[in-house]
Amino acid sequence: MMIATLGSKAILDVINAGRFGRFVWRATMSSVRGCTRKRTYPLIWTQMNIIGVRSVPVIMITGAFVGMTLAVQAYDQLAGMGLEEHLGVLINISVVKELGPVLAAVMLAGRIGGALTAELGTMNVTEQIDAVRSMGTDPIRYLVAPRLLACLLLTPVLIIYADLMGVVGGAVVSFLQLGINSRAYWHFSAYGVELWDVAIGVVKGFFFGGAIAIISCYKGFSCKEGAHGVGQACTEAFVASFISILALDFALAVAFKNIYVTFWPLKSLVG
Amino acid sequence: MAQRTNDTHERPENSPADSVIEVRDLTKRFGENLVLDKISVSIEKGKTTAVIGPSGCGKTVLIKHFIALLRPTEGQVYFKGQRIDDLSERELSRIRTHFGYLFQEGALFDSMSVAENIMFPIRQHFHITNWRQVEELVKAKLAMVGLDGFQNYYPANLSGGQRKRVALARAIALNPEVILYDEPTTGLDPIRSDIINELVLKFKRELHVTTVVVTHDMKSAYKVADRIIMLHQGKIIADGDADQIQDHPHPIVQQFINGEVGEDDLAVLRMNAGISTSQFSPRDFQE
Repeated sequence: MMIATLGSKAILDVINAGRFGRFVWRATMSSVRGCTRKRTYPLIWTQMNIIGVRSVPVIMITGAFVGMTLAVQAYDQLAGMGLEEHLGVLINISVVKELGPVLAAVMLAGRIGGALTAELGTMNVTEQIDAVRSMGTDPIRYLVAPRLLACLLLTPVLIIYADLMGVVGGAVVSFLQLGINSRAYWHFSAYGVELWDVAIGVVKGFFFGGAIAIISCYKGFSCKEGAHGVGQACTEAFVASFISILALDFALAVAFKNIYVTFWPLKSLVG
Repeated sequence: MAQRTNDTHERPENSPADSVIEVRDLTKRFGENLVLDKISVSIEKGKTTAVIGPSGCGKTVLIKHFIALLRPTEGQVYFKGQRIDDLSERELSRIRTHFGYLFQEGALFDSMSVAENIMFPIRQHFHITNWRQVEELVKAKLAMVGLDGFQNYYPANLSGGQRKRVALARAIALNPEVILYDEPTTGLDPIRSDIINELVLKFKRELHVTTVVVTHDMKSAYKVADRIIMLHQGKIIADGDADQIQDHPHPIVQQFINGEVGEDDLAVLRMNAGISTSQFSPRDFQE
């Protein structure tokens, strides 16, 4: 009996994985085609406003508090070794490489991901998605592709905002509260933080945005009937997006480190 | 305006020449639940066919197969001689422009106004250069359902009957050949229900469409339908005009069309009568 139950669940998981894979493929193809169809552009602009522009304040607040908290937490350890003027290096590398992208993406997963799942889930249970299909329009092209493209394009931009506010927040706390010398602070920051570090964080945003959009849209399209079904889908979308962000963060960290190690010796040849 | 491409005509063998939609040995399962069991039916061009049956018998599932919103577990679905159940979503986009579908709750897009809802299929399939012409078209479609002047309303501001009429106006935006109605009078008062019935007849008369109406409202079925099909436990148990259905010998058909509770259901109610007569009070749950 238990084996039958486990077997049924395993089969169901494989079926769901296949459905998700097909959804990702169709969404990707629709998004690629959408980039070349002028008719899609108004839909993308609308989503970019909703997903990107309206998220700027909350992302900036997130970034600012990340930087400020890092400054407060890290100061004692560095001051104990007489390295308090290197606080900027620690704050800024942490913000631009890891904390800024990851926490901004988590904030987006909660704000945007939940909204996408709720909107598409409600459309699903009220047959609006079927209505789109019945009128000869592909719902993936019309509903998912603009949202996916908006997330792909704007999450890296939002991460830049988060990084900026993290750097500013950390600097403000360091100068005003901790009394760090600003000239030394920026001198060591400029020395320790490379363009590569900033680029890693921005590129991560591309992957995080894609994961949030795909997972949230899929959960909306496949949610069960009723308010309970939509609510459950929103919760699952956030949890899955959060875990995906962490997993992608790890995978990308390993990948970028290998790239850096491979190509770093070449820097002296081209620099 | 774009042109519709010609459909290939690969009419299946033994298919009636005037059938627009045909399903053959259609079986549909959801998990272990068998909803439709080897159903074969042809929908005649220009006629109104009502599909009746108890709630949950598969009426909506059947008509969703006509437009390939659902795919059969087994069997085939044909539209104008072309098999459609095995087409991709991209290929079906073209086929579906020949259909109008009125969903049970209307399925209006609540982020769009009435006018934008009706414009939606037009904007999806045609490159619009003359917006005044489109506005005139929207006005005409709304006038057909008696709602001209409601262009700037949103679905949340409409009554149930108005929502259905707007949904109907949207369903006919592309001048379809076939209109599918999924329980169009459910949830409406008798007067609004009759308005919908009159609209079904009007569209058949003026637009020369083929119509399929899913309903359990017998008054509506008798009024609008040339042919009535009854589903029960996944099979068609009755198929005829209104007179043939009213005189049908099958007891399930008579029970349904007369709105009578069956002996089995009555037995269940009598069995539970003893339990329902006792009234519980909070003290019964305290130790």
